[in-house]
Order: sequence, then C-alpha cells, then structure tokens
Amino acid sequence: MKKRLIAMLMTGVLCAGTLAGCGSGSDKQEDSGASADGVITINYPTFQCGVNTAAPVVAQLVEEFNEEYAGKYQIKLEEVPGDANYVDKIKVQLGTGDLPPVVYGAGYNLLDLALAKDLVVDLTPYVEADPEWKALYSETALNTNSRDGKIYASSVEGSVVGYFYNKDLFAQAGIEAPATTWEEFFQQCDKLKAAGITPLALDTADSAWVTQLWWGAMVATSGEEGMKFMQTMNPTDYNFPAMVEAVETVQKMLQEYTTLDAIGGKYEHAANNFLSGQAAMIANGPWMIGDFSDTSKTTEGFADKIGSAIYPDSFVYDAPIQGYFVTKQDDPKLEEAAVEMVKFFTSAHAQQLGLEMQGMVPASSTVEVTDEAKSKYPLLVEFLDQAAGAELRSDNMQATMFSNLLDVVSQELPRLYSGELDATAFCQALTDAAAKN
Amino acid sequence: MSPVQMTMKERVLCVLKYLFLALCVCLALFPILWVIMSSFKTNAEILSNGMALPQNFSFVGYRDALTISPILSYFGHSVIITVISTALNVLLLAMASYVFARCRFRGRDALYFLLSLAMVIPMTALLHPVYSVVQTLGLYDTKAGLILVYTALNLPMSLLILRGTFASIPKALEEAAYVDGAGFVRTFFQIMMPCAKGGLTSAAVLAFLQSWNEFTFALVLTSGEEARTLPLSLSYFTAQFSFNYTALFAAVTIAVIPSIVIFAVFQEQVVSSLTAGSVKE
Repeated sequence: MKKRLIAMLMTGVLCAGTLAGCGSGSDKQEDSGASADGVITINYPTFQCGVNTAAPVVAQLVEEFNEEYAGKYQIKLEEVPGDANYVDKIKVQLGTGDLPPVVYGAGYNLLDLALAKDLVVDLTPYVEADPEWKALYSETALNTNSRDGKIYASSVEGSVVGYFYNKDLFAQAGIEAPATTWEEFFQQCDKLKAAGITPLALDTADSAWVTQLWWGAMVATSGEEGMKFMQTMNPTDYNFPAMVEAVETVQKMLQEYTTLDAIGGKYEHAANNFLSGQAAMIANGPWMIGDFSDTSKTTEGFADKIGSAIYPDSFVYDAPIQGYFVTKQDDPKLEEAAVEMVKFFTSAHAQQLGLEMQGMVPASSTVEVTDEAKSKYPLLVEFLDQAAGAELRSDNMQATMFSNLLDVVSQELPRLYSGELDATAFCQALTDAAAKN
Repeated sequence: MSPVQMTMKERVLCVLKYLFLALCVCLALFPILWVIMSSFKTNAEILSNGMALPQNFSFVGYRDALTISPILSYFGHSVIITVISTALNVLLLAMASYVFARCRFRGRDALYFLLSLAMVIPMTALLHPVYSVVQTLGLYDTKAGLILVYTALNLPMSLLILRGTFASIPKALEEAAYVDGAGFVRTFFQIMMPCAKGGLTSAAVLAFLQSWNEFTFALVLTSGEEARTLPLSLSYFTAQFSFNYTALFAAVTIAVIPSIVIFAVFQEQVVSSLTAGSVKE
C-alpha cells in the first residue's frame, strides 16, 4: 500500500510540476475577447504569411487596424503557414465549434462548412447600414458571398485569370498574337511544337490548378450548358457532352503539348517550366507577375518577354474570391469587433493597398487602379484592360466544385494521360465523387 | 584470414560484400546530401535539374530561412518540448512497464492490451478529442499542452519496448536486492533502471524522433509564437502559388541535424534493445 501511495504521489508531483512550470500565466490573453483594460482582442489565424504573396498586405492591414482602433480593438495575428494547414485547422475548430471570430474563406469554400453548423453571423444588416461598404458589392460579389439572400462574407480580392505567354517563343514559332478561337489556339500549339517548343506548362498534382484553368475555359466556352455548369456552385453532374469533349482535349494537351514532368507535377513545376522558358504558355492569375522579375526563379529581363491574354472565344475567369466572414461568439462585443475588422479588411482602401503592394486584383470594380499600381504592374494593367473586353466570364472550376473532388482530379488526371481512363470514365469518376457529398 | 590467404572466390565475395555495403551507405546518405546540396541552389536550379550540383554556393537560402520563418525560436521550443516529453514518457512508462513485466494482478493483460491498442488509432481520429481536452484543461497554445500530448502519443511504443526489456532482466537481480534490504522504489531505480539502459535509450530515441518531427498536433494545439515547434516552420516556404525551395531545404537541413545526431549517437543501443529478448540465451 505504501509503495503504491509513493508511486502515485511521485507521478502526481512530477506532472503537476511540469505542467505548472511550462504553462503560461497569460494563456487567456492569447484568446479572443476583452482584456482588463477593455481592449477587445481578435485572434485572427491566417495562411497569408511566410512566402504567401498577400503576407505583406495582411501585416500592413493589421498594423493600420490596430493603430486606428487603438484602445478599443486589437488584432492578434496567428500565422498558420500553408494553405492546406489552415484549412485543416479551421476544420478541426469547426468540429469543436471553436472558430476564431474572423475566418477568411479564400478559395476553400469554408463559408458553406461554417454555415452548415450555423456558426456564421449574418452581415446583411451591417452592409445595408453602410452605403460605402454596400457599394463595394458587385452582383458577382453578392453571389459569391451570399446564401439564401443573406450576405455572410465580404471579398477583398478578385480572381481575374487568363494566361501568360512568352513573346520570344511565340516569335520563334511565327505566332504574332494570342489566339482568339480554340481552333486557332491548337493551331498555335502545333506551330510551337513543330518549332521544337513545348506549348503548355501544365500540372496534375495538388488539384491541377493550371490544367484546370484551361479545362474550365473550354467548358465555359462550349455553349450554354457549359457556362451554366461553370456558374453552378457545387455541381454534381460532370457527365455531359461538353464536359466530356473538354476532358478529351485536356487528355490531348497532357499527351502532346506539355512537358513530361507535368504528369505528377505540381504548380511549382508548371511555373518553373514557364519561368525557365521551357514552355510557351501558362494559365494563371496576376499574382504570378511578381515571379517574372524574381531572379531566383527566372533570368534577368524575363518579365519583358511576357504578354498576357484572355482565353479563346473571349473568356476570362472573373469572380471575387470568397471573402472574410464573422463567426458567432458568446460575447456580442467580440462579434462587433470582428465585423469592424471585416469591414476594414475589405474596404476600398484595403483593396487598393493590395493592388499597390502586391498587384492583387481588387474585388470591386469601383476601386480605382492608381498611377502607382499602373507604373509598378504594367502587365497587370494590360491584362485588366483585356479582361474588361471579355464577353464570357465565370468563376473557376476549383472554386465551385465540392472540395473532395480536388483530390479526385489529381488522382485521375495521370490515368487520363496514360489512357487507363477515357474522358467519359474520368467524368464519371468526378460525378461519383460529387454524389458522396 | 589475411587477404593473401584468401582464395579467388573469397576475394570476389569480399569485393561484392563491400560493394553492397557501399551501395547501402549511398542509399542512406543520398537524401540527406541531396537536401543539403539543394539548400545552396536557386529555385530554378532545384526545379529544372534536381540532381545537378549548385552553380554557385550561396548561403542566401539559410538567410531567407531565418528571415521568412521564426525557425530559431521554434527550434528552441522543439528542444524544450521534445526533451521534457521524452524524459516524462520514458520515466512514466518505465514504471508502468516494470509493473506490467513483474507484477501479477487482475486485469493486467487486458490493461496492457488496451494501452497497446492506442498504437493502431489513426492520429487524425485523435485530433478532435485531444483538441477539446487540451482546450478544457486550459493548455491550448502552451508548451505544457504539447508535452502532455507527446508524452501520451509515444505511450504504446515505449510500453512495448520497456515491458520486453524488463521482462528479459533476470529476476535473481531483484531478489538479491530485496535480500540486501532494498525496497521496491530503490530496487527499481538503482537496480532495474541501469539494467534496462538499452531499452530506455531505445524508447527515448523513438519518442524523441516522434516528438521532434510531429506536425499535426503542433499545428492544431498552438496559435502563437510561444509554443510552436520546428516542423511548423517548414510550412512557411511554400504556399499555393508561391514557393522558396532554397530556403525550405536550408530550413530542412537545420531541422534534421539534431535527429540525425541523436540517432547516430544512440543507434547501437536502439538496434540492440529492439532485438533484445528475441533470442533466449
């Protein structure tokens, strides 16, 4: 009995000592809520840190917010490096109902997950009460951030995506300007190939972002059915003629018009193939423009060789990225503080700051492209002008598909390339996966 | 037998043996050398030709690694958390394993089975409950929270190793100690623990490596800069549309050095204790 008692006591003392020694006395201050001096702290986790292109913008906004609301509100930034890590962490917190006051939905459709658990604050009365804020919502922004007629989120960044091409490689193949029709586009691919140049930088891993952009553009321009599909949130049927035809073309692109490392390759490989001059075209957004002058990724003067274009048949991806939303909290004051933060982070000033600092496309078309932005990002301005003339526009396929399909796309594209799957079977695999939701 | 006395067949076999060993060494060292070599290359060099030598030896990657992520403070946290959780794990599990190996009591095998069963529970299944428990205990975003979790995570493996180790020590040693007047606690700490040195080292090394490399719980159970560990710092170098592989490999080099050193120093004890008791002498 004595032995047992001693053993238990020793264990208890050891554990208590360790925990007490390592525990921080100010643990609670790390969490969101009001402190003794009345300042409400908003704990804000973000993946926009490290090498993320938006990291300096978020840091600047946090600094400005803390300055403007000094003594009232304070944002405490929690860096969650890596997009996937951020999504994983938010999902765990969703499971326990312990979400931070402000969540950035980004391209991961976190809003619907949080809404399914009834954890999101309705922003409609706040937006309606503020004409300046309301003016920033375009029709597409309302679609992206509203559900059942209620506004739940607010966007800061637009996703206007076309493609970039290497003017030198185009000239070598005798191509004068980007294609205006898909027929012309594939003729150009053949010309490039004949000149010994790989036409396209593609990928298949990590949801195949680059490849999906070409694929979605073909679906969107295939006709009414294709465009309707592209404008549908969480579509369930991928097995229709226009989609099958587009997937057949993707198969051809992977087999004939890209580099070998595209199969199993990630965005980084596609980007490197374009940046190193090995491939003539890459579909991607304006956030890539900074890479064209980064000498650790490409050669000096590469930026001067690059042109931008919208997709054939006058199509461009154009939709605000799902924005910030406020989650329900026990403390109404904390919710109010979170609403103020969302308003500040998506204001015209914040959108302009993103444009000037990092070339981020503003979510609202009413935000002016300043002279500073024009001189710093001439290619972006050129592209925005081209995008303004596009006749067809929609969100990208990755943003609208069920999140479980992202992995299916990565798994099945290499099989599509090898011929193990044909286009119909590929589309059926997506339809089957969508049905699981 | 000297090389002069070897027959032709023996010489060929000897050469083949050394060739095989050289191949094993190359295979083991290649990933480490590749990572170190890549830390001196540019992003374009890494992605274009991963196998080529760097065109210029530049320490820019190491500079970037230190500026982009708080790698040094995370390194410090990792050392504290890993060392304490490893020590706790080995100490507590040594006590438990000794009891499992030596004492007979009702439900012993069932309890041992239950504790060992934890080994087959996937980590993702533990995330939600562990998060809730740590939050309730007020240990979220503290080193203590991670220490507690890591101590528990390594429980099944340490139990398995240490129970086998204590079971393989002759009972006569304890009996002699009791005859000489030593009590239970003294016998355990002064007689049994030194005899189980190999098993203790093995359990400690495995617990150390698991805690040092653990990522998921470190991500989910921390929010600030006070308790985060080294593996998290490696995520600072890649995002969906941006990357800095040079800095990433520099950071990986910094991160793996302690693991390699620890394993290299204690590898003999680890291997010998893992196979201890497998052969009756």
